[in-house]
Amino acid sequence: MIRILKLYGTLIGFALIIVLFSVLLPGTFLTSGNLINISQQISMLAVVAFTMTIVMVMNDFDLSVGSMASLAGVTAAVLFSLGYPVYVGVAAALLVGLLGGVFNGVLVSLVGILPFVATLGTLTMFSGLAFLVSGGRTIFGRDIPSEFSGFARSGVPLDSVGLDGLKLPFLSLVALVVLAVVWFVLEQTTYGRRLYAIGGNKEAARLAGVRVKSLRLSAFALTGLGAAIAGLMYSSRVASANPTQGSGLMLDAIAAVFLGMTMSEEGEPRVQHTLVGVLILGVLDNGLTQLAVDSYIREIMVGAIVITAVAFSSITKQGR
Amino acid sequence: MFVAGTIARTFTALVLFTGVAMAQNVTVVTPYLAQPGTQMYVEGFQAEAADKGWNVNVIDTAGDVAAVISRIEDAVTQKVDAIVINVDPAQIAAGLETAAAASIPVIGMDSGADPLVATNVTSNGYAMAAETAVYVANRIEGKGRVVMFVFDAFPPVQIRGVIADAVFGNFPDIEVIDRITPDVQDGGIADSRAKMEAILAANPEPGSISAVWAAWDQPALGSLQAIEDAGRADEGIVIVGIDANPQARDAIAAGGNFEASIAQDFIGIGKATANAVSRAISGEEIREKVIYVPTVLVTKSNVDK
Repeated sequence: MIRILKLYGTLIGFALIIVLFSVLLPGTFLTSGNLINISQQISMLAVVAFTMTIVMVMNDFDLSVGSMASLAGVTAAVLFSLGYPVYVGVAAALLVGLLGGVFNGVLVSLVGILPFVATLGTLTMFSGLAFLVSGGRTIFGRDIPSEFSGFARSGVPLDSVGLDGLKLPFLSLVALVVLAVVWFVLEQTTYGRRLYAIGGNKEAARLAGVRVKSLRLSAFALTGLGAAIAGLMYSSRVASANPTQGSGLMLDAIAAVFLGMTMSEEGEPRVQHTLVGVLILGVLDNGLTQLAVDSYIREIMVGAIVITAVAFSSITKQGR
Repeated sequence: MFVAGTIARTFTALVLFTGVAMAQNVTVVTPYLAQPGTQMYVEGFQAEAADKGWNVNVIDTAGDVAAVISRIEDAVTQKVDAIVINVDPAQIAAGLETAAAASIPVIGMDSGADPLVATNVTSNGYAMAAETAVYVANRIEGKGRVVMFVFDAFPPVQIRGVIADAVFGNFPDIEVIDRITPDVQDGGIADSRAKMEAILAANPEPGSISAVWAAWDQPALGSLQAIEDAGRADEGIVIVGIDANPQARDAIAAGGNFEASIAQDFIGIGKATANAVSRAISGEEIREKVIYVPTVLVTKSNVDK
């Protein structure tokens, strides 16, 4: 019984939240339209959280993802405003994300700075760069090509599956693709298993011949790339870019991974569990808004739920 | 007795039920609730909404513009009667389209005009600039040399400069000796001060500068510092700003060269927004895409109010 609660407590809590909202919000919460909305609303956070999982598997952190998302969005928008085509802006933004991630990786794995300190430093650097590149302005309007902002407003029509007039948003699809890729990398490749080995015991992994340094470096690069993808998604959704727009993503992404970690026996991050964490945060935001709960109370509740889940899992694990 | 009680209770329940069913639900979404101006808009809006008996849900997304779109989608799902936004509509087009598809009116509270926004309630930037420019022209009796501080890169400030140009241009004896765009990266005061020091140095004769017209308060404050530090505060140079921020009010109250600024009625904008919402909910097609709320010229005589 304890074991079931320990493993499924978070999932049961998630189910209860859904049941509660379905009862309190009949006819509006559990509708296909609203669920599709939620999938789009959480897509940016999801991409950051999925790729954050990659470094958290090794017990590392990346605090710079939010400012990297801002920097990537601003980079693309500035190139658009200079008249470059969409693919150039997008490619440059992704490259910036990859390079920023590699830089984090070098600091952490080669120089040997604690991830918390190294990425706190790069958080400030990336944020400063985002202000520098954009001149502190919000880039919007005619500077943003309609192909780019239209992406976030379009999707695959779902008429064929009986949901007439609805569409699966491209942003949700991007999040699904990132989920699939991260799941494959972490769960189905030796690369992923080695990352888990580093997370289990770095020294043992090194002695067993795992190339800890290059693996950590590459994992940070992937997290940086993920942050840049999320930044582009955000810019497309708001049809603009602003040097601070991604700053809310980092804490929520870490919270989502922590929520997910309560669901595995070993307390390791698994990307499919991170998805549940992201869903909990997204569903709470959506349902509590519909219930007209004050936005400050909403924040308190979200924080309390994260703490409750982690505390519950920690207490049940001590019982072993 | 028992029956009568039951009937009375049923009746009360019925009245309460219809009362709840009749109340309008209005969602206000803003990323900027932490800013003083926005808080005052919301305060004015809520006061008026309480009189009308609406259920108002104020959502602050703490700077997150994408979350504004998400929360608009949620409000549309909830089929609210109207949505009020306090954010640039160009950035939330996706949310506006969702609301339009559900025929839910969106009203801007100092948000900017947009075809998908029923109407935007704000202050009239043209009128504010006209009022301060005319104040200067009258104060210097239609003749003299004027320094202008403008910022044409930002549309709401650019229109102020255009109007001041027109006013001064209409007085044959007023000469605009410089039209300066300060560097605003440091907030605007420091660079404006440096620019004004240069102008003072270039015009050393007492009385050679009659007035400084600034399109917002920071350059006016910078000019005031430059004039006072140059020891030229007693030459009668008239300084005016726009916005009447607390620092400007202090300077105006002190009774020095900074004589006037102009205050937006934030509470009034909130109240007028509630009235616009009420019109939109009743099904009226609001013809004026922008509704202006009067502003108040702030001088030493009324700065304490």
